[in-house]
Amino acid sequence: MPEAPALAAAHVSFTYGGERLVLDDVSAGVARGSIVGLLGPNGSGKTTLLRLLAGTRTPLRGEIAIEGVPVRSLSRRELARRIAVVPQETHSAFDFTAIEIVLMGRYAHLGPFELEGPDDMAIAREALAATGTAALARRRFATLSGGEKQRVVIASALAQASDVLLLDEPTASLDLGFQLEIASVLARLNQERGVTMVVSTHDLNLAASLCSALVLLKEGRVLAEGATGDVLTASNIRSLYGVDADVAVHPRTGRVTVVPVGRVH
Amino acid sequence: MAAVPARGLRPRRPRALIAWCAAVAAAVAMAAGVLSADAHRVVSIIPATTEMLFAMGAGDRVVGVGSYDQFPPEVGRLPRVGALLDPDVERIISLRPDLVILYGTQADLREQLERAHIPFYPYEHRGLADIPQTIRRIGARVGVADRADALAARVENDIENIRQRVDGLPRPRTLLVFGRQRHALTDIEASGGQGFLHDMLEAAGGTDVLADIHRQSVTMSTEMVLARAPEVIIELSYARGDPMTEADLADWNQLASVPAVRRHRVFLLSGNQFVVPGPRVAAATEAIARTLHPEAFK
Amino acid sequence: MAASTDVRRRLAVTILVFGAATAIVCLLAPVVGSTPIRLSRVFDRTVPFADNVDAQVFFIARLPRVVAAALVGGALSVAGVVFQALLRNPLASPDTLGVSAGATLGAMVAITFHLDLAAFGIPAVPLASFIGSAGALGIVYAMAVARRRGTSSTVLLLAGVALTAFLGAIVRFVQVIADFTDTFRSVRWMMGSLDVASYAPIAAALVPMAAAFIVLGALPRVLDLISMGDEAAEARGVDVRRAERAALVSASLATGAAVSLGGPIPFVGIVVPHIVRLLVGADHRLVLPASALFGASFVVVCDLVARTAFGAVELPVGTVTAVIGGPFFLWLLYRHVA
Repeated sequence: MPEAPALAAAHVSFTYGGERLVLDDVSAGVARGSIVGLLGPNGSGKTTLLRLLAGTRTPLRGEIAIEGVPVRSLSRRELARRIAVVPQETHSAFDFTAIEIVLMGRYAHLGPFELEGPDDMAIAREALAATGTAALARRRFATLSGGEKQRVVIASALAQASDVLLLDEPTASLDLGFQLEIASVLARLNQERGVTMVVSTHDLNLAASLCSALVLLKEGRVLAEGATGDVLTASNIRSLYGVDADVAVHPRTGRVTVVPVGRVH
Repeated sequence: MAAVPARGLRPRRPRALIAWCAAVAAAVAMAAGVLSADAHRVVSIIPATTEMLFAMGAGDRVVGVGSYDQFPPEVGRLPRVGALLDPDVERIISLRPDLVILYGTQADLREQLERAHIPFYPYEHRGLADIPQTIRRIGARVGVADRADALAARVENDIENIRQRVDGLPRPRTLLVFGRQRHALTDIEASGGQGFLHDMLEAAGGTDVLADIHRQSVTMSTEMVLARAPEVIIELSYARGDPMTEADLADWNQLASVPAVRRHRVFLLSGNQFVVPGPRVAAATEAIARTLHPEAFK
Repeated sequence: MAASTDVRRRLAVTILVFGAATAIVCLLAPVVGSTPIRLSRVFDRTVPFADNVDAQVFFIARLPRVVAAALVGGALSVAGVVFQALLRNPLASPDTLGVSAGATLGAMVAITFHLDLAAFGIPAVPLASFIGSAGALGIVYAMAVARRRGTSSTVLLLAGVALTAFLGAIVRFVQVIADFTDTFRSVRWMMGSLDVASYAPIAAALVPMAAAFIVLGALPRVLDLISMGDEAAEARGVDVRRAERAALVSASLATGAAVSLGGPIPFVGIVVPHIVRLLVGADHRLVLPASALFGASFVVVCDLVARTAFGAVELPVGTVTAVIGGPFFLWLLYRHVA
C-alpha cells in the first residue's frame, strides 16, 4: 500500500476578498522525509498555499490532508502537534528571551493550566542546540541578529515536535552568511531527524541545493511539480519569472545552480 | 444731546418761543436724567441682585434675568439671558438695557457691554455683611436709593435681632452641607470658614465645624466627618428638579458615632433662599437659628 | 530528580513576594490616615460600635476605601496587561478601546440629569457608569466579531480611538449643558475618588471583576502566544478568535467595573504592567498575577497619600497615581536601558 504523503493538497482553490482566485485548482504532494521547495514570483500564492497547508485558512474548494487525514477534521492543537510554521519575520511586542519563545512551541502539548515541565525544558534546550543557538537561551530576542532570530524561531518550531515544518521564505531578510547557515541547519535537521519540510523561497540556488522536489506556482496555478532536476529548467524559469537563466551542475558542489542572465520580454 | 440754541439768537414768533421752551425743558430733564443715572431697563444675571431689585420695589424695571433666577415668581415671565458661564450677549443687547448687573469675573461680557456703550454694575459674591451694602449700592445705581436704604436697614436689623436672641446660648459645632450624592455619603460639599453661608451660621448661633478652613466650600470625606464630629448637621436642599427629602437624611445614620447622628440633630432646610445671598437672607438665617436654638424662638 | 522548571519556580516566587507585599500594604493602610486612631480601640468590643469613633473611622471611612482601591488597582492593571497583549502594543491601556469613555459618559449623564435609579443600594452614578461601559463594550465587541478571522489589532485600535473621541465629545457636550454645580461635580468625578463610604458599590463591582478574573485566569499563556502575532499563535495551536474575544470581554468588564467604582483613575493600567514586566520579565503567566497584586497595592498607597498628604484638603487619587507612577516608571526605564 502506497504511503500517504506527509502533506497533500488536492484541487484547492482560495480567495481572500472574493474576487480574484489567489489559488486555482492547485494539487501538490509532499513525500515523507523530503524537503519540497515552493517557488514562484510575488503574488503567485506561495504564502497562501503555506497557510492552507498549515490549516490556518480553509480552502474555498478542495482539501488539504496530512498523512491522509483531512486537515479540517483536526483541532487546532492536534494540527499544531503535526505541523509547525516558521514565518518570514517574527516581531515580538514584548521582551521575551530566546528560550521563552522556544517554549511557546510547547503550547500544543500542554494542558490549559499546565506549566512546562522538565521534559519540555529538555526539548527546548535540545531544539536550541540543534539550531546552534544554545548560548542565546537567556538573551532577549529583540537584541539578536537576523540570523540568530531565524534560528531561534526554527528552534521554536522544532520544539513543537511536529513531523512537518513549513517555512515561509526563511532566508529572505538575511545576508549571505546567514543564508548558508540556515540552509545547512535545515539540511541537517532533515537528515538527522527526518523532518518533512516545505520551503517557500525566491532563492533558486537555495531551492536547488536544499530541496529534492519543487512545486512551481504561477498566478495561483501549478506550473510544474516534481524532482528538482526535472523541474528546474531554463524554460520553466523563463516561464515563471520572465528571466533568461543558465541552469547547470556546479563543478565543485555537484548541485544544480542557476545563474540569471537577463530579463525576457 | 438736545440742541441748545446758539447764544444771541432770539425767537421772533410765539410758536417758535414755545418750541424753544420745550427744547430747553427737555434738555434740562435729560441732563437731570443723565446726572441721576436712573436705570429703567435693568438686566440682572445674578439671582441675588434680581431679588434685591424686586424687594426694593424696582421689579418693574427688570427686563431680563439670569437662567437660575427663581424668586419672586414674577421672574418666570421675564426673558432669560444666561448665567455665569454662558451669558447670551445678543439677547442682553436686544433688550436695550440701561444697566446690566453681572458678575465681576465676567470679563468678556464686560468688554462687550463697554463696546456697546451699555452701563453695568459688577457684582462680587462675598459675606453676609456685604449684602446690605450691595442693596444700597444697587439701589443708588438704579435710582431708588430711599427704598434700598430701607430694605438694607431691615435686613441688618433682622439679622441683628437674631444675633441677640441667640446671644449667650451655647453654640453647637455645626456642619452645613449644601451638596452630596443622593443615597450615598460621597461628594459631600460643606461650607468652610468663608462666605455668607458661614456668616449665616455664625449669626444664627452656631459654630462652623470647618471654620479653620479658609475656603467657601470644602469637599469632605467620611473620615473627615467622623474626625470633626459635628454636634449638628444641617443639609440644604434647593435643587429645582428633584430635591432631597427628610427620608434622605437617613443616609447619615451610617456614621453612628457622630454626635449629630447620635442625638438626632440632623436637619433638612429646603428652599433656595439659603443659597441666594439676597434680601431673604434674614429669613434664611432665622430658619437656621430656629433649627439650632428652637427654645429661643418660643 | 524532577527539577522544578524555570517558570514554575519563578511563578511561585513572584506570587509569594508580590502577595506578601500586597497583604502588608492592605493591612496597614486602614490604620494610617489623617486622623490618628488606635487599633486597640478599633477592636475594643466593650465599646458599642455606635460610640466607637476609632472603629467607625476604620470600618466605615477607611476600610471600604482600601478594599475599593485594591480592587480598582488590580482590575485596571490586569486590564492594561490584557489590552497591551491583545493590541500587541505596549502603549495600550484600559482606556484605549473606549470602555472608560463609555463609563465616563454614563456617570456624566447620571450627574447632569439627576438620575435617581439607585438599585440594590448602589447609587445612580456608579450604576449608570457601568451601564455606559457595557454599552461601549457592546460596540467594540460588535466590531471585533464583524471580522471573520480573529481581531486585527490595528482595526481594533483605530476603532477604539474613534469611539473614545466620539464618546468624549458627547461627554463634553453633556458637561456644557449641565447646571453649574453639576459641572463642578462631574469634573470632580473625572479626577477619580475612592471614598465610596459603603460596601454595596464594592460588592456590585466585585461581580463583573470576579467573572473577568476567572476567565482571564485561563488566558495568560495564550496572551504570550497572541502577542507574537495571530498567525503565529494559530500555528502553535491557539484558537485565536475565541481567545481574543474572551480576553476583550473580560478585560473590558474589569475596566468598566473599576471605572464605575472609582472614576477614570489614569496611569494605573498603562504603567503598572510595564513596571511589573521590568521586574518579572515578559511571561504573562507571571505578569498577570503580579500586575493584579502590584496594581492593588499601588492604588492603595496612592489613595493613602491622597488622603493624608495635605490634611484638610484631599487630593484626587488620579493626581497621585500620575505623580508617583510617572517618575518611578522613568527611573526603572533608565535603569533598564543604561
